[in-house]
Amino acid sequence: MQYLASLLPTMLEGTVITVELFALTLVMSLPLGVIMAIARISRFKPLNLLMQFYVWLFRGTPLLLQLLFIYYGLGIVGIRLERFTAAVLAFVLNYSAYLAEIYRSGIQSIDRGQYEAADVLGLTYFQTMSKIILPQMFKRVLPPISNEVINLVKDTALIYAIGESELLRVAKTAAVRDFSFTPFIVAALFYLVMNGGIQQFFKWLEAKYDYYR
Amino acid sequence: MYMLQALDIYKRFHRTEVLRGISLRVEKGEVIAIIGPSGSGKSTFLRCLNRLETVDRGMIEIEGEVMVRNGPDGKALYSDERDIARLRRKMGMVFQDFNLFPHKSVLENLMLAPVIVQKTDAVLAEKTARALLDKVGLSHKADQYPYQLSGGQQQRVAIARALAMNPDIMCFDEPTSALDPELTGEVLKVMKDLALEHMTMIVVTHEIGFAREVANRVIFMDEGVIVEQGKAEDVLLRPQHERTRAFLSKVLMAR
Repeated sequence: MQYLASLLPTMLEGTVITVELFALTLVMSLPLGVIMAIARISRFKPLNLLMQFYVWLFRGTPLLLQLLFIYYGLGIVGIRLERFTAAVLAFVLNYSAYLAEIYRSGIQSIDRGQYEAADVLGLTYFQTMSKIILPQMFKRVLPPISNEVINLVKDTALIYAIGESELLRVAKTAAVRDFSFTPFIVAALFYLVMNGGIQQFFKWLEAKYDYYR
Repeated sequence: MYMLQALDIYKRFHRTEVLRGISLRVEKGEVIAIIGPSGSGKSTFLRCLNRLETVDRGMIEIEGEVMVRNGPDGKALYSDERDIARLRRKMGMVFQDFNLFPHKSVLENLMLAPVIVQKTDAVLAEKTARALLDKVGLSHKADQYPYQLSGGQQQRVAIARALAMNPDIMCFDEPTSALDPELTGEVLKVMKDLALEHMTMIVVTHEIGFAREVANRVIFMDEGVIVEQGKAEDVLLRPQHERTRAFLSKVLMAR
């Protein structure tokens, strides 16, 4: 018990970094993904192709590799980023690509009649998207988005590869130092609690959007 | 001046020529029923009138203003976007599948376009919306969502939504085709009331009874051309063309 108490301060510090990375990634990639999805279905070919390339690149390589590339790789050509900045950058770029594809499938699942109805009522493309298509899309993509968000919590552990003291790294350090299993179990509990909260949040969100079909 | 004038409209999808020289002039207050077998091009023609589809060749004028005409190369040349948007706003459209916005309540469906497109004050827009719902007999459904309504009720909401933009011409694309037979009556009743108020209407329909009772003019289309047109009782009761007769006997047999 005393040992547990001695672990908590550093593990909480690690958790703060984990949560910060998690929150910053979401705040940026959730809206960025929408813009990318719209660019991806744009009839302007170059934009469309650029987005296809982007998605291919960031879904087609491991997030860990992207992280190492941005932190160490860019360093070689003289672009030195802070550890945490590099982490946020890699995560935002990567998660935006995944979210963009989820949004895209959501947008494309909306019936063509919705566009036509908006069109004959005189709505502009922007109004149609913001008032008609995107609100319906968000409801439909909630389940896959919740998957991504839960993955994100677990993926934050990857930044331990660039030496950032997030939750898992702190746990591992303590485990090796104290020759104990306990820090890993504590870390697992931390992740589980975070994801439990996220699951509840999405459950609530889905119920909230259940007012229409 | 005609409310709407379409001259020599041509349209092809890939290799099939869907419209082969259709012309139509609509006077204020006229109710026109367009009938014909599926694939005859009647819905496509209606959709061309408010540019849900673009034409390949031909001229369309709305209240004397050109929306599209033939350019020097003989191909359709559309006016600029702003003018088209303004002209299209004179036309209301009702779809076969209603296309209500499922995430908006009935009242919000009616208020959305007036508020964000016409910048009508929300209080005024709500007043108009409620009056229109009353007119289609659905004031008690104002706060419900489309999925809570029957097909007939949804279509009446869709009509009210189009009317909320205060159009001069109402276009109906097979408004009762997606409905169970027992629900078509309530929709046709609303359309009939509109006709009695002298709304200019163009109705693509399979409802021969409605065409006979309400339309001033019936147009029979087949294979992308107008085969026959005239007063409802002439076309429907004394068709001149074999194709019209064949179509009518098929449709009437089915009931």
